[in-house]
Amino acid sequence: MENTFHTDTVARERTIARYLARTLGGSASEEFENHYLCCDGCFEEMRAAELLIWGLGQPAIESVRAGDVTVIRFTGSAELTSSSSELSALVQMMDTRGDTKVLIDLQRVSRIDSSGLGKLMQCYTHAVRNAGVLKLLQPTPQVKRVLSLTKIDSVVPTFEDEAVALQSFQ
Amino acid sequence: MRLSDVEIERLRQKLRFRVGYEISFACPDIDDLVQETLKRFLNASQADKLRTPEATAAFVNGICRNVIFEYRRRLYRDMPMPEIVPEPPVKEMPESERFELRQALDEAMKQLSQRDRMVLRYFYVEERSTEEVLELMGLTLENFRVVLCRAKERFRQIYSRSVQYRAASGH
Repeated sequence: MENTFHTDTVARERTIARYLARTLGGSASEEFENHYLCCDGCFEEMRAAELLIWGLGQPAIESVRAGDVTVIRFTGSAELTSSSSELSALVQMMDTRGDTKVLIDLQRVSRIDSSGLGKLMQCYTHAVRNAGVLKLLQPTPQVKRVLSLTKIDSVVPTFEDEAVALQSFQ
Repeated sequence: MRLSDVEIERLRQKLRFRVGYEISFACPDIDDLVQETLKRFLNASQADKLRTPEATAAFVNGICRNVIFEYRRRLYRDMPMPEIVPEPPVKEMPESERFELRQALDEAMKQLSQRDRMVLRYFYVEERSTEEVLELMGLTLENFRVVLCRAKERFRQIYSRSVQYRAASGH
C-alpha cells in the first residue's frame, strides 16, 4: 500500500475517503491505520480530507422564520445552474415544506442560468398553487440583469431591503 | 528504540484520532485510552520488545486495539457485550471552536469554483468512481488531479491553522 499511497494521489484520496466513511473494510482499514500511524504526511492528508468532507457536507441552504414568513438563504457562495447542488437543495426544500410565505435571499447567488430560472418559476408556481406567496430578496447585479431580461421580475416581486420585503407579506 | 518528545506528541495526536475514530470523539475517556496506549508502547520499546522498527506502527496499532477492547470489556462488565458494537455518536466540539472552524471552512469553500465543488462532492461525499466523475464533469485525469491537489492544499492549511489554534487555546 505504501508505494501506491505516495505515488498515486487519487488512490490515496479514495482510501482516505472510504476510511472516513467507514466503508473501507476490516483489513484495508487496519493496513491504512498501520500506515498513517507512522506517516505524518498521510495523517495530515486524512485530517484535511476530513475537513473538506465536512465542508462539502454542510447544507448549502438554510431557512429561518421571520414571523410567519420563511426566509431561505444560501449559506455560502451559490450558483443556480443546471449542475449546481444549491439548485437541487432549493427545489428539494420547496417541495418538502408547506410554507405559504417564502422569501428567497439571492444575495450570495453569483450566477443563474435557464435551469435556475425554470426551477425558480417552478418554486413560484408551487407556492401560488398552494395559496402561498414567493418573493425574492437582494439579487446580485448579474442575477438582477437576468431576471429583468426574462421579465421574471415583473411576475415575482423582488426587493432590495429585507425589512421592506418582510413588511410586504403583511 | 527511543522517541523524541516531538515524536511522542505527534504519535499522541494520531492515537487520539485512532481511538476517537473507534469509540467516538465525544467519549470522555479518550485521553486516558491514548495515554494507556502510549505508556504500554513506550514500556515495550524500552524493554526492547520491538525488534523491527518498520513494524512500529502495526505494533502501536495492535496495542491500541487491545486497550480499546479492554475498555469496552470493562464497560460491559455487568452486562453481556453486544455482538455489534453500536455506531459511535456524531463528533461533537465546543461551540466556540466549531464557530472558528466553520468560518475558516466557509472561506475555503468560497475559494472553490462551483465546478471544483461538484467534482469534490462526487468524489468524497457521493463516493462515485473516478471514471464516473471524469465522465460527468468532462475532465481528464490530469485536470482531476489538479482539482484534488488544489482543494486539499487549501484544507491542509485550515487544518494546520486549527491545530495551532487548539494548541494556543489549550484544547
